[in-house]
Amino acid sequence: MTMPEVKEEKREITFRVYRFNPQIDASPFYDEYPITVEKGITVLRALNYIKEHIEPRLSFRSFCQAGICGSCAMRINSVSKLACTTQVWDELAFADRENVILVEPIANLPVIRDLVVDMDSVVGKIEKYFGWVESKMPENQMGKKEFNIAEAEFKLYDAATDCILCASCISECTMTKANKEYITPAVLLKSYRMEADSRDAVHDKRLGVLVSDNGVWDCTHCYRCMEHCVKHIPIMEAIHHIREDAVQKRGLSDTPGAKHAAAFVKDIEKKGRLVESLLPIRTNGLSWTVKNMLPMAFKMTKKGKTPPPPFMVKAVPGIENLRSMLKELKSRGNSNHHK
Amino acid sequence: MKKYAYYLSCINEAMTKEVDKSLEQWEKDLDLELVKLEQGTCCGGSNLDYVNPDEFLVVNGRNIALAEKLGLDMVTSCNTCLLSLRRAKDELDRSKEKREMVNGFLKREDLEYTGKSAVKHLLWVLNEDIGLEAIAKKVKNPLKEYKVASFYGCHILRPSSLLGVDDPKAPKSLDQLVDVLGAKPVKYKSSNQCCGFHTLLVAEDESLRIAAAALDDAIKSGADYIVTPCPLCHTVLDGYQKKALDKQGIKGSIPVLHLSQLVGLAFGYTQKELGINRHLVS
Repeated sequence: MTMPEVKEEKREITFRVYRFNPQIDASPFYDEYPITVEKGITVLRALNYIKEHIEPRLSFRSFCQAGICGSCAMRINSVSKLACTTQVWDELAFADRENVILVEPIANLPVIRDLVVDMDSVVGKIEKYFGWVESKMPENQMGKKEFNIAEAEFKLYDAATDCILCASCISECTMTKANKEYITPAVLLKSYRMEADSRDAVHDKRLGVLVSDNGVWDCTHCYRCMEHCVKHIPIMEAIHHIREDAVQKRGLSDTPGAKHAAAFVKDIEKKGRLVESLLPIRTNGLSWTVKNMLPMAFKMTKKGKTPPPPFMVKAVPGIENLRSMLKELKSRGNSNHHK
Repeated sequence: MKKYAYYLSCINEAMTKEVDKSLEQWEKDLDLELVKLEQGTCCGGSNLDYVNPDEFLVVNGRNIALAEKLGLDMVTSCNTCLLSLRRAKDELDRSKEKREMVNGFLKREDLEYTGKSAVKHLLWVLNEDIGLEAIAKKVKNPLKEYKVASFYGCHILRPSSLLGVDDPKAPKSLDQLVDVLGAKPVKYKSSNQCCGFHTLLVAEDESLRIAAAALDDAIKSGADYIVTPCPLCHTVLDGYQKKALDKQGIKGSIPVLHLSQLVGLAFGYTQKELGINRHLVS
C-alpha cells in the first residue's frame, strides 16, 4: 500500500511590523518582511525567523513560548493577543490586506523599542492598590500553623489567579486609553483576587484606594478586557464584585459611582422606571449639575429631549407587587452572589 | 406576522422617544407586531447587578416572565437592556436555586420564569428573524446618497459569551442592514468601540474623550451619518457631540441616526415622522 503524498501547505506572507527606537527614530514606522510560512506556524515563530534571518535588531519579548508567561502579548491585526498561541493561518482571515499580517506593540503603555513596552506603570499600580495578601496571621505563628481556606472560598478567586499579567486587557481597555492614571483591568482583577481572600488583613485599606479617583468606579462597562483576556478570565465579574463589596460589605457609598448605582436601585423600587432628570444631581450634587449640565439641558429643552421631571415619571402598573417582593428580599439579606 | 413582547427601555421613554416613535411607523410594513410590556421595569442599567445581585435577578426574571406569560420572545432596542436581560437569563437558566428564589417571589403576580422566551435585540430580529431579503423588498427610498458609519455599541457585542450574534472583533450585522437599505457602509476602526456613556456622570472628561475619538474617526472616514442600535450611544454621540469635539479641538460634526430611523428613511417615512428633528446635531 502506498501512502498518499502529504503536501505541506506554504504561503508567502508579509509581516508588517511596527518599528520604533525612541533613542534614534523621530517617529515610529513600519517594516515589511515577506517570508514563506508553513501552515501551523505561530506569529511568534514567524517573528523569531525574521529576527534570525532578516532583521536581528527587531525587538520583542518571548520567554516561555507556550502561553504561560504572558511576555509576548502584542497587537496582531489590531487585536491584543499572545504571539506564541496565535496561528498565522487563523490571522489571515482578519487581514486588512491579503496575506499581510499587521504586528504592533500592545497599546496604552509606553514603547521601549519595537514590540517591547514598559510595564513599570502596571507594577506601580499593583503597589498602589495593594495587589498582595497582607497576612492576618500573627507574626509569632508564621510557619508554625497552616492557614487553610475553604474550597468554596478558593472558587471565588480561582479564575482570577489564572492572570499572567500579559496586559492584553490593559491594551484593549477603553478607560485606560482615555486616562493613563486609570487603575486598569489587570490591576482591578488582582485587587479583587486579594480582596476576596479571607487571609488578608488590609481589605478596608485596599477598598478605600479602589473607590478613589481613577479607581473601580471609572470602568465604562465596555467588556473589552473580558473579551480579549487570553486566559478567558471574567474580568468584568471581578470589577462588579469589587463594587458590590464596596457598597454592600464596607458601606463605601459616598462616591459618585456608588451614588449613581444607588439611584437606579431606588428608582426601580419606587417607580420601576428611572428618573433620568435627577440622575446628575443624585450622582454629583446640585452645584456640579448646574455647572456641567445647564447648557446641555437648555439645548435639549429646545429639541424636546429633556427627560421628564420626577412627577411626570409614572410608576409602572403592578409596581406594588414588585415593591413587596423587593422589600421581602431586602429583609432576607443577599445570598452570596460570587461565582 | 411575527409577534414579540417589546421591552420598554427607560431612556426610550424619556430622552430618546424617537426610537419607539420611528419603530411604530414601520413595524407593520414588516409584518412585525410588538406588544409593549407596560408592566416591565428598568433593567438596572448595568448598575443593579452588582449593587444588589439578587434584586437584579428578581427584577429581570420578572421582566422576562412577563414575556413568557404572553408566550412571546422578547425584543429590546437598547443594548444595555439587552445585556442586563440576557445576563439575568443566563444566570437563571444555569441555576435551579436562583430560579426557585426568583419564582418564589413571582408567584405573587402569577408569573413564572421558565427560560422559554428568547431575549433579542431589534437589530437581530431584523437580520435573522425577518431577514435582509424581506427588508430589501420594503425599501421604497434606497438611501443611495448616504455613506453610513455603523456604531454597534458595547452591549450588543461583548461579552460574546452572553450575546454571540456578531464577532465583536469584526461585527457585520449593522453594516449588512445599512447595505440592504441602499446606503453605503463605511469602514472605520471605531465601529466596535465604546461610546463612554456609562461613565458620563462619574468621569465626564474621560467619557467625552472616548466619544470624541469615535466621532473623529467616523468624520475622517468620510461618512455622512453614524447609525447606532443603542439609544445610550446615541445620547453621547449626538447629545454630547459638540461638547466632546470642542474639548478636543476637533472641527466638524456628524449627524447620528437610530437604527429604527435609518430603516424608516429607507421605507419612505419623513424625517419628522421619524423624530430626526429631535436630534441635537443635524
